[in-house]
Amino acid sequence: MSPLADSEPLIQLSAVSKSYGRDGVPVPALRGVDMEVQHGEFTAVMGPSGSGKSTLLHIVGLLDADYEGSYHLDGELTTGRSREELSLLRNRSIGFVFQQFHLLPQLSILENAALPALYSRTLAPAECEERARLRLEEVDLGHRLGHRPNELSSGQRQRAAIARALVNEPPLLLADEPTGALDSKTMREILELFAQLHANGATIVLITHDREVAAAAQRVVHFRDGQTLDGVA
Amino acid sequence: MAWHNLLFRLAWEGLQGQRGRSLLTMLAMGIGTASVVVVVSIGLVGRDYVVSLIEGVGSNLVFAYGTGIGPNPTELSFEDLDLLRERVRGVSALAPVLDDAATVPIDGEPRVVAVLGSTASYYQVRNLRMLQGRFFSDLEDRNFAKVCVISKELHRDLYGGRELHDTYLRLFDLRFRVIGVYREGVESAAALEKSEAAGLVAIVPFWTLKHVGNTRTVDVVYMQAESPETVPTVVADTKDVLISQYRNIDGYTIESLDTYLVLVKQVSDAITLGLMAIAGVSLLVAGIGVMNIMLVTVTERTRDIGIRLALGAGRRDILLQFLLEASILSLAGGVFGVGLGVGLPIWIGFINDVPIPVSGVSVVVAFGVSMLVGVFFGLYPARKAADMNIVESLSYE
Repeated sequence: MSPLADSEPLIQLSAVSKSYGRDGVPVPALRGVDMEVQHGEFTAVMGPSGSGKSTLLHIVGLLDADYEGSYHLDGELTTGRSREELSLLRNRSIGFVFQQFHLLPQLSILENAALPALYSRTLAPAECEERARLRLEEVDLGHRLGHRPNELSSGQRQRAAIARALVNEPPLLLADEPTGALDSKTMREILELFAQLHANGATIVLITHDREVAAAAQRVVHFRDGQTLDGVA
Repeated sequence: MAWHNLLFRLAWEGLQGQRGRSLLTMLAMGIGTASVVVVVSIGLVGRDYVVSLIEGVGSNLVFAYGTGIGPNPTELSFEDLDLLRERVRGVSALAPVLDDAATVPIDGEPRVVAVLGSTASYYQVRNLRMLQGRFFSDLEDRNFAKVCVISKELHRDLYGGRELHDTYLRLFDLRFRVIGVYREGVESAAALEKSEAAGLVAIVPFWTLKHVGNTRTVDVVYMQAESPETVPTVVADTKDVLISQYRNIDGYTIESLDTYLVLVKQVSDAITLGLMAIAGVSLLVAGIGVMNIMLVTVTERTRDIGIRLALGAGRRDILLQFLLEASILSLAGGVFGVGLGVGLPIWIGFINDVPIPVSGVSVVVAFGVSMLVGVFFGLYPARKAADMNIVESLSYE
């Protein structure tokens, strides 16, 4: 499934570099990364800890705006945008799945899943809730809507988090070690869910250090010392 | 699940999660707010109360008396009285007072009773209230009638407060018919030591006392000005009359109650200002308490905030969330404080059987101020939350 030659990539990073200043000595985390991800691709970014893959995820996820180089998301330059613009873009364009799920403990999973839709402020609360309910049913949690996260198993929590990531129908799904806190059976469940989403056309970027997880992806980009191993990815 | 309900629930549950700290902060806010209620009450109601006491002595009142001090006798003579009647402009009623004393047996003991001689207008000028009977008339005054009205204290001591019925009082070896019992319009004027009508007093017609009594001079002249604006004219004209009689003006006191009013207003303003400062300090301390607890809350919920920001929460979403929490905290404290500030004076008043007035304005002011304190001191922590580094807050443990 090669991308069409004339279509614009969803993610286009050009010469992205970032250093962390520690005790005045800058430690480079990314060294001029060039990377593209096409629409509909399922990409795994693999590398050992400290390779810079998390830093990459933060930049691609618009969580970190402090870097050199340029980043186009869906053809739009995001570099240099204001915090408010980035939060709007993040809300509309990116769904996050975290290793630690990051569900809010004081809310039901229905409310959790509805949160990105509520923050978008484009839909009535009832509509947000309805969308969240549909997403949760798609991940087989339709019978747990009123439960709090701590009343669910870790696999269920991660599925709730995936439902939350999908609620605004973002073009990009970003997953940071999504199976890192799961046992191997649950891990396979979640990976199957990702594969299913990909089959339905979702663009997924998944970060992992686990070979087995990376194998679920269509394409693997290896990361080491702040660079992709194969040069341009 | 309305959006605003969710916001409120989040704020409420945030406070519930740290109930002990929240309650202590509310207590501090409550004490601050209560002090505002009390201070504003004192400032508004207390001042009005004192002013009404003074005005109750008689409105637009000017009084003149000789102090008896100085090389020449400084007294008001009967001739002076005629001149004052003739020459002082803007006076609606004038009441001279002769001051004498008589011995009256009370419960078998001889007691000294003050006997005042004045005109019928004394009743109006000095704002008296009749408890029984009536005051004497101009006609009775001109005809040297042997009638008297007595203070309620004298009435109590002489007749045990019983109904008057053909009651006579022996003064200067003459029988005076007691025609009425009075009390002063504002009795606490006696506390200001400005009242000759307080205590064991019998008031008889001016001309009667002039004939049968021992007084040769007028003790004091009350003049009621037509309006507050004419009060200074009355004072000035009175001085002119005395000067025209070659009197040593320094030996006389000519004053209006305005002098006291201005003084009271100044003093009460100064007290209110001082109390305001103290209330302000306690509110400041409470506000810092709100800020402190909100800073702790923001730090504790760092990861929460990171998650919300990652999901696309805008700056105003986060600001609103924490401002709401701070406002709930300070408003709840405000409600408690208003209860305290209103309830305590009422309770103390109830215990002591003295109604303590509470100002309604103070309640409104206190609510407004506590809300403002919450927003003001909540702003810094809320901004801190909204401006958090997302990557760092997501990995916060």
